[in-house]
Amino acid sequence: MISFLRMRLAGALATIFGASLISFILLRVLPGDPVRLIAGPLASEQALEGVRRQLGIDLPLPVQYARYIGGFVTGDWGFSFTAGGPVREVFASRIAATAELALFAFVIAFTAALILALLATYRRNRIIDGFVRVISTFGLGTPQFWLAMILLIVFFEQLNLFPGPSGRLDASTLAPPRVTGLLTVDSLLAGRWDAFSQAIEHLILPALSLGFVPFAFLVRLLRANLLEMSREPFIVVVRSKGIGYWATHTRHVLPNAFLPTLTASGLILAELLTGSVLVEKVFAWPGIGALVVDSILRQDYAVVQSFILLTAVLYVGVSFLVDMLYGVIDPRTRNPVSQRG
Amino acid sequence: MRAVRGVSFEVRRGEKVGIVGESGSGKSALALSILRLIAPPGEVVGGQVWLNDRDLMRLREREMAHVRGSEIALIFQDPMTALDPVMTIGAQIVESIRKHRPDVSRKEARDRAIELLRDVEVPLAERRIDDYPHQLSGGMRQRVVIAIALANDPPLLIADEPTTALDVTTQAQVLDVLERAVEERGAAVILITHNLGIVADFCDSVKVMYAGRLVEQATPTDLFRSPIHPYSEALLRSIPDPARLEQGPLPTIPGAPPSLANLPAGCAFEPRCPLGRGVAICKNTAPPVIPIGQGVAECHFAEERWADNETMRKEAAADDRS
Repeated sequence: MISFLRMRLAGALATIFGASLISFILLRVLPGDPVRLIAGPLASEQALEGVRRQLGIDLPLPVQYARYIGGFVTGDWGFSFTAGGPVREVFASRIAATAELALFAFVIAFTAALILALLATYRRNRIIDGFVRVISTFGLGTPQFWLAMILLIVFFEQLNLFPGPSGRLDASTLAPPRVTGLLTVDSLLAGRWDAFSQAIEHLILPALSLGFVPFAFLVRLLRANLLEMSREPFIVVVRSKGIGYWATHTRHVLPNAFLPTLTASGLILAELLTGSVLVEKVFAWPGIGALVVDSILRQDYAVVQSFILLTAVLYVGVSFLVDMLYGVIDPRTRNPVSQRG
Repeated sequence: MRAVRGVSFEVRRGEKVGIVGESGSGKSALALSILRLIAPPGEVVGGQVWLNDRDLMRLREREMAHVRGSEIALIFQDPMTALDPVMTIGAQIVESIRKHRPDVSRKEARDRAIELLRDVEVPLAERRIDDYPHQLSGGMRQRVVIAIALANDPPLLIADEPTTALDVTTQAQVLDVLERAVEERGAAVILITHNLGIVADFCDSVKVMYAGRLVEQATPTDLFRSPIHPYSEALLRSIPDPARLEQGPLPTIPGAPPSLANLPAGCAFEPRCPLGRGVAICKNTAPPVIPIGQGVAECHFAEERWADNETMRKEAAADDRS
C-alpha cells in the first residue's frame, strides 16, 4: 500500500510539473506582448520597463518559473491586471459559481445516465434502449454552446419556463449570506426558500447544456458494460439462486459493470469543473470560465498559469479519488496483501 | 434451431441421474431449460417439467424464482466464472439463504454459511467466508459453488459438469464432497457430464444424449457391460484406459455432431454410425423409443443388439455372483 501511494504521488507530481511547465512556456512563446496591452500603445520605453518589473517578467525565465511554482505553493498566485486584483481573490469570488454549475450538471448527467442505462439493459427493453441509443448518438454530436442557445430559445423565449441568461439569481433577489458560495446550499442554510428555488431555476438550463454531452457519453459506456456483464456466467448462477431480474441487475450486474463508468465520471467531473467556458458565456454565468477566456486573450499570465496549475491539481486529485473508490468497488484491485492463496 | 428435442425422463427422490454426451449435444441447454434460465434470444418453445405435482413451465416468473435455489439448485460448470467477483463468498451464500427465508437474521444466515462451507470442506471456513472469489483456488471456488447450491437444502440439484474445469486430484475431492453432501441430505441429482468414469461411480442411472435427444437410458451397469446404442458404445470405447494402451491410439468417433439447425430426417447418428451408415431405414426414418431391459434406446437395431448381448450379460452376472 505504501509503495502504491508513493508511486501515485510521484506520478501526480510529475503530471503537475509537466502541466505547469507547458503552460509557462506556451504563454511565453505566444505572439503578443502583455506589457503593451497593459501600458497602452503610446507608453514610453521607461513605462514599459516599469510594468515589466512590476509583473516580474524582466527576470530570467528559470527565476520566473521558480517564483511561479513557489508562489502557487505558498498561496501567492500573482496579480491579475485584467481583473485588477490578486488572482487568488479573483478565483475565490468566482469559483463557487463554476463549481455549483459543474456539480449540478454532473449530478444530472450521472443520475440520468445511471437510470437510463439500467432501464435500457434491464431485460433488453427495446423501447427504452432505442431511445437511449438515439439520444446518446445525438448527444455526442451536439456542441454545448449550440444546445445552450436552443434551450434558451425554447424554454426561455418561447415557453418562458425558465429564466434567461441573467446569471445565478434574478437581479432583484438578494443573495443569501455567503457560507459555502454555493447559492443552493447557502439559501437553504439561511432558510431562504425563494432564493433556493430561484437558484435551482437558474441552474437548470445551463446545467442541461453542460451535462448533455457527458450524459450521452456515460450512458453509452454504462449500457455497453451492463450488456456485457449481464452475459457473464456468474449471472446465471445468481439467477439460479432465485434472485429476481431487477435485484440481479442492480446488485450483481451493475457493480461489475461500473468501473469504467467510475473512471470516466471522475474525468468528466474534472472537465466540467474547468471546462464550462462557452456555456458560462451564453448564460452570463459569473464563473471562472469567462475570466479565463478573457485572460488568455489579454495574455494575463498570472491568471492562466494559476488556472492551468489548478486544473492539473484537480485532475490529479480526482483520479486519485477514483483509484481509491476502485478499491472499494472491486476487491481485485486492492493490494494483494490479504491474499492467502 | 433446437438444442434439446423430445427429451423425457424422470428423477425420483434421492436418485442420481447422469446425462452424458459430447460437447454441443444439448446437455447444458437441458439444465438451463429445467430452471427456465435460457438466455434470450433463446427460449423454451414447449414441453413440461414436473416437480412433484407442478409443471414448472407454467409457473409465473415469481413462483419460478422461488423454485430456483430452494427446490432446484444449479452447480455451475466453471468455478472460475461462476462467482460474482466483487462480492465476498459469504455474501453470495447468505444472499441465497435470505432470498428464500427472509425471516433468518443476517447473523444466523452467516453462521449457516460458515456451516455450509465446513460441509463442503473449506478449511478455516469462519475466516474464508469474508474472502473474495479471486482469493480462492479453483477447487475451493467449486466447493463454494456447491455450498451455494446446498444453501436451502434443495431436493434436486443439477450439476452441470461440476468437475470439468478442475485438475484430476481436485476433481476426485470435489466429487467426494458433493457425493457426501447429497447423501446426507437425500437430495436427487442430475449430473451432466461428458466423463463416463464419473457416471459409473456416482449415478444410479445414465442417459446418453446425442443431438438434443436422449438416445439411450440405462443403469450404469447395463450401459457399461452392453451398450445398445452404437453412439453409447463409441463413447465407452473412447474412454482412456491404460490396459488398452497396446492396442494403439484411442478410438474416436469419426465426424462431428450434426448441426442442430439442419438435422437429418432419420437417425441423427446415422452419418457417423458404424452400424447404420447408409442403411435405408436409419437414413430415412427416425428411430422409435424401444424399451430395452430396464431402460430404453432409440435405435433401429436396439432389440437385435440387446439379444446379441444377452449371453455376455449372463456371463457377467455369473461372474458377479461367483
